[in-house]
Amino acid sequence: MMEASVLRPAARRSALLRAAPTLGIGAALVALALTLSNDFYLYVAFMAGVYYICASGMNVLAGYAGQKSLGQAGLFAAGAYTVALLTTRLELPPALALAAAPLVAAAVGVLIALPSLRVKGPSLALVTLAFGLVVEKLVTEWTDLFGGAQGIYGIAPLALGDEPFALKHWVVLVIVLGVAVHLALSHLLNGRFGRALLALQSDEIAAECAGISVYRYKTLAFVLAAALCGLGGALVAQQNQYFNSDFVTFHLSVFILLLVLLGGAGNIYGPIAGAAILTMTEVFLAQWPSVQHFIYGAMLLFALYLMPTGVAGAIARVLPRRMAVLDGMETPPLTAMERGRAEPSAGPLLEVADVSKAFGGVVTADKVGLRLHAHRIHALIGPNGAGKSTLINILTGVITADSGTIRLAGQDITRGAPHARAASGIARTFQNLRLFGSMTVLDNVLIGAHARISVTGREEDAVAKAKAVLDFVGLGEHAGALAGSLPYGLQRRVELARALAGDPVLLLLDEPAAGLNPRETAELGQLIKRIGQLGIAVLMVEHDMGLVMRISDEIVVLDRGVVIAEGGPRDIQTNPRVIEAYLGREDSPAPDGPEVDKEERAC
Amino acid sequence: MLQAIIGGLTLGSVYALIALGFNLTYTTTRTLNFAQGDFVSVGAFVGLGTVGVLTAALGADAVGYVWLYALAAVAAALAMGVLGLPLYLAAIRPFAGKPGMSWVVSTIGFGIVLQSAALSVWGLGARMLPAPFGDEVFRVGEAGFRSQELVVLVLAFAILGAFDLAMRRTAIGRCMRAVALNRDAAALMGIDVPRVMAMAFLASSALAGLSGVLVAPILSASLFMGVIIALKGFSAAIIGGLTNPRGCMAGGLLIGLVESLTALWSAQWREIMVFLLVILVLAMAPNGLFGRKLVEKV
Repeated sequence: MMEASVLRPAARRSALLRAAPTLGIGAALVALALTLSNDFYLYVAFMAGVYYICASGMNVLAGYAGQKSLGQAGLFAAGAYTVALLTTRLELPPALALAAAPLVAAAVGVLIALPSLRVKGPSLALVTLAFGLVVEKLVTEWTDLFGGAQGIYGIAPLALGDEPFALKHWVVLVIVLGVAVHLALSHLLNGRFGRALLALQSDEIAAECAGISVYRYKTLAFVLAAALCGLGGALVAQQNQYFNSDFVTFHLSVFILLLVLLGGAGNIYGPIAGAAILTMTEVFLAQWPSVQHFIYGAMLLFALYLMPTGVAGAIARVLPRRMAVLDGMETPPLTAMERGRAEPSAGPLLEVADVSKAFGGVVTADKVGLRLHAHRIHALIGPNGAGKSTLINILTGVITADSGTIRLAGQDITRGAPHARAASGIARTFQNLRLFGSMTVLDNVLIGAHARISVTGREEDAVAKAKAVLDFVGLGEHAGALAGSLPYGLQRRVELARALAGDPVLLLLDEPAAGLNPRETAELGQLIKRIGQLGIAVLMVEHDMGLVMRISDEIVVLDRGVVIAEGGPRDIQTNPRVIEAYLGREDSPAPDGPEVDKEERAC
Repeated sequence: MLQAIIGGLTLGSVYALIALGFNLTYTTTRTLNFAQGDFVSVGAFVGLGTVGVLTAALGADAVGYVWLYALAAVAAALAMGVLGLPLYLAAIRPFAGKPGMSWVVSTIGFGIVLQSAALSVWGLGARMLPAPFGDEVFRVGEAGFRSQELVVLVLAFAILGAFDLAMRRTAIGRCMRAVALNRDAAALMGIDVPRVMAMAFLASSALAGLSGVLVAPILSASLFMGVIIALKGFSAAIIGGLTNPRGCMAGGLLIGLVESLTALWSAQWREIMVFLLVILVLAMAPNGLFGRKLVEKV
């Protein structure tokens, strides 16, 4: 941490170099704005800038985190009324009020995030929409405070000395803010933060199991969007020196979402394209007021059909793709890399005691006890419905056990959230692939390493480490491919690489060989053995008995939620209870008491 | 009080009709028509127009106004239902079954087109559509209510009941439920899934148009009235449980009641109360009051 906070000169130079084009364009825009003297054009430029600021925040929320909010007008209002009330009622300095606006909006953003975090899709749209409408009605009806449609006059604008800002100054301010926002967001989004948001948009459970706190990241996205939207509102209120409830409409919320969707959601340049195009359209269509709405509507109707990834996405597809970085990168092999943790002292790495779980009347785990050891490969087998996947889910925290304890290296993790368990070293793969299909293989692996990458760390180090993991599983050459485009067998290996990237002490594999051909299965067996040699404890649920018997050090047999046998491959193959569970009993005498009980519960 | 309850149930049953429309399209296509409000408004104006044209053609008293109104309602439902097809083709089909919510944008776009086309025909002003049984106020004890409120209540409940029955007892209802449960399996069983989806939009839009004619005598009809009505219908659908048609109906009535009971206390606060309620309900029960919890298998 200490070392990372002091940027090396080379890193600082490269950061400057990366920012140079943006700064240059910003400077050019400022110069252009200073030559403009037509108030109409200046006002258009100002509004485009404000739209960009709102949209860039919304892009974090809707584009990256995938939370399509329809209530941004409420946050725009929060910022606008903050400056309005602070400068008129409390007569605070305008600059202070402007600085306070995003903070107040961010606080309101937390408020809207709380209910929003629990819902998805149309319900999320409704919660945010309802929030926007509540704010709209509040500022309309609570005239004592907000002035309603009469509005609030005399909002103090920023000033240069004693002169209030002219339109030209506002434009320059907006450009400066816009450039700052763009640089900050590019830094944030082209790395750990942006990857985490894209991951949770694609698959929340997989993201959570990769160590990403879905809850925290979604809230952050809401707060960022709120703050920037509030800033936009504050700028408009101060520039106008007036604000009323007519600004705060459902249409504004829709418009802000449109800026992002049309421009290109999840693309850092999307909001720029969106703000430019929609402002232009407004200006252009204003010449023919009668058809303005009509054309506007038609644009919305067909735009995403013609350009599913927005304008920025369509442009990006035409431009040649820059293939990143990896070629010729020197990476140390994984075995030689220092592993991030101290070896746990002797004794079991994971201790499961008395874990039970029932779904309604179906008992899927009944006082299960389990001990897993570092360096060893454990297999968990049992007939269909035995509760194997449930156990994996309980170990990773996807499902919470009804009772019992789980200890990882002596620490009780029974109640920990999946992301916390991932961070403490439990990684997993899924029975049905849960890759982030529209992201590259490399990004998938980097997401797996999420908890290992420090916030201040260098992206290059993270990439080198990820590359080492890819080489280890033999996927080095596919690093740049989209995960979803690979053949099935390779996709399974990507998931394995993603799990390994988190430097786990315990790796849980849920049917890793499912759907693989015999050659791939053999390779997988070798790979799992090598993973064990790294010192990782492996627990795999698997139906391919050949594979299980070949590579396992220890086998646990589960039937209807009960551990019925444990031991080495040889013991298990000859264990009569195991044979019975798989094949049934040869002679079928009346089953004994507890067995009946269980059967009934299982039905 | 009784008056408020009847008023609430009346509005609520209109929300329920719209909510049912949302339920139909959501279960079959996983999409919603965000232009439903414009379908409501335009439906009301189609009704108005029909009454106007028929009165002019037949003379004012040729047939009773009740029949004119009934014809207007049918015309609005038909016209909006037919408009539901281009909505489906242009705004929904390209995006149905794909991730992301592009259909939000495309349906809003369709709504804006529809609204601006209607504006160029009927203009900005609000109009009054006379109620079929006059505007007299009936009195029962303390409470007074208008005939139209009863008409709306009876008709809406009849339609809701008919839909409920149709979904359970008819072939097309079974097809729709099959598509709702599992689109791929339904397609494999020989159900023409795109046709069922188009039917869902037809029915949903027709319901919206009909709702427009039903509320027009109660509220004054303007081309902007639909948005808030549809948003409340949307709220009704979501808090009732978007996947459960009966839940949608219950949600509609609940919202109508909350709205009119709040109005007893303060008319300005009724929308605030309604939408605060929505936020609260969803914070407590993310799948709505009667929605089934979707369990994701990991």
